[in-house]
Amino acid sequence: MAIEIRNVEKTFGAFTALGGVSLDVRSGELLALLGPSGSGKTTLLRIIAGLDHADAGEVSFDGQDTRDRAARDRKVGFVFQHYALFRHMTVFDNVAFGLRVKKKAERPAEMDIRRRVDQLLTMVQLSHLATRYPSQLSGGQRQRVALARALAIEPKVLLLDEPFGALDAKVRKDLRKWLRHLHDDMHITSIFVTHDQEEALELADRVVVMNHGQIIQVGTPAEVYDHPADSFVFDFLGGVNRLNGVIEAGVARLDGKAVRVDGAVGADGPAVIYVRPHQVELGVAPAEGVPEGKWSARVSSLHAAGPVARLELDLAGRALEAQLSRDRLSDLALEVGSWCTVDFRHARVFPAKS
Amino acid sequence: MPAEPHSRRPAVGEGPMMRLALIGLAILFLAAFLALPLVAVFSQALAKGVGAFLKGLADPDALSAVRLTLTVAAIAVPLNLVFGVAASWAIAKFNFRGKSLLLALIDLPFSVSPVISGLVYVLLFGLHGSFGPWLRDHGVQIIFAVPGVVMATVFVTFPFVARELIPLMQEQGVEDEEAAIVLGASGWQTFRLVTLPNIRWGLLYGVLLCNARAMGEFGAVSVVSGHIRGKTNTMPLHVEILYNEYNFVAAFAVASLLALLALVTLAAKAALEWRFADQIAAAKR
Repeated sequence: MAIEIRNVEKTFGAFTALGGVSLDVRSGELLALLGPSGSGKTTLLRIIAGLDHADAGEVSFDGQDTRDRAARDRKVGFVFQHYALFRHMTVFDNVAFGLRVKKKAERPAEMDIRRRVDQLLTMVQLSHLATRYPSQLSGGQRQRVALARALAIEPKVLLLDEPFGALDAKVRKDLRKWLRHLHDDMHITSIFVTHDQEEALELADRVVVMNHGQIIQVGTPAEVYDHPADSFVFDFLGGVNRLNGVIEAGVARLDGKAVRVDGAVGADGPAVIYVRPHQVELGVAPAEGVPEGKWSARVSSLHAAGPVARLELDLAGRALEAQLSRDRLSDLALEVGSWCTVDFRHARVFPAKS
Repeated sequence: MPAEPHSRRPAVGEGPMMRLALIGLAILFLAAFLALPLVAVFSQALAKGVGAFLKGLADPDALSAVRLTLTVAAIAVPLNLVFGVAASWAIAKFNFRGKSLLLALIDLPFSVSPVISGLVYVLLFGLHGSFGPWLRDHGVQIIFAVPGVVMATVFVTFPFVARELIPLMQEQGVEDEEAAIVLGASGWQTFRLVTLPNIRWGLLYGVLLCNARAMGEFGAVSVVSGHIRGKTNTMPLHVEILYNEYNFVAAFAVASLLALLALVTLAAKAALEWRFADQIAAAKR
């Protein structure tokens, strides 16, 4: 099912949660709403589900306005951040809930309910825990029960609010992969909210980056990562170095030397040069002077656990983070205190905020 | 050298002497102020033998008092069950104007002396009260009649259910209800299948406490009842009358029956707690 969101606004008292948001969700895609807390992403999700109401604007499902459709009639699967499992019901009864509360005319026979719930529990790999209570399950298991419960009503759209937020790192990674496979099998339009950029980039077909109740950028993970719309997106999508420089006559300069940048340069004046740590190119320092077009820096610390080495450098008094492979590090034979040359493979420049 | 015993003491714990003193003090206090009076009631009631005790209870006026007390409780407790659930539902799950006023009002019966509560009813519905003449013209008697006793009891026992439920419901939030609604449940289904099971233990405690107070209320009821023997006398009032007439055995016999009802209530609560300990633990999670 496709969802069209047009100029949706929502305020809570003096706080603007959504300031005129428009978005098209394509049928069958897995979409991430990514943003810091207070960016309006959860509010948008709740408005789609019918749990909150927009002050203005409209949300339509396959072209049909949803304004007059109550949450219970929307056929939406919603997975809550803290699962919201019914604690006095067994896993089985939790999953069966949505089927059992149907009006008599639509309610499947108890035997069919049983079959359907067994099927769902097999799918989330929890058949052996059907008679347990939620309090007897681990976080990851609870999350899967919540998912099975949401899927039981055969929703047209699946909405997940910070689905992995309350889980530890290892479980989170496994569950993420599992959810991706599940989505590939079922092709149900899914929207999940997260503040974790890694999660959004790894899991989603498309990422919607939000801030202060606005959508800043929509695109595939590669698009938003490689071509961030502005400094906020650049910043939010992972570690970044911010170096104060200037724009002079249409050229970005750092300590007087020109920096090759992607995209528009902008008007003359103070500017911030954004470089991701893995786009910092290090080289062996020559015996004398600094080569043309490069900078010189000193290694101030070095973390070399795992396949990637992380270095902190001192570039004329500024802290600069760099990432390179362990092999490259040993080729360069760098250690704390040694000097090297610095260049930037890709950089972006944005005007400094006054 | 074996480890010194005191080195194993938990950081927050007290020394053995201190612990003994604290426990001893608590038990002594309970014995002096709670257990002793209870024993006294029963021993006084049986002071002249079981025959006298039973005779005191078999008196028609005493039986009428027992009947009235049970009737009043049977009306007041269900009413306050419904009011209490409705009020705590409104307070815990919605934001609305006047919410803090409603919260304060719920506490009113606790903060106002029961005698004053009773007087308010007399001022409102008594013969010389605001609605008195109108009620008299329509042949309705509230004050010095059973309706007054019921109303005073409802007023005094109102907070018990609500006070028990509000913090519980506030803590549980609305996520479970939202989940039920998104899954297609109607408002009534959500309440019956999700909300009610979530609060059932708190509700039970509230009802038991409410019941104990409804049966035991003296002050407010005393003002509105008029102490008409065999008609508007509840058990606590009847005890007082008998006592004032120096009919000690009968007074204590009725009192012991009242105490017994309270003990049964407590025992029921303890038994339920014991029987459903795992469910209560799961609900608290």
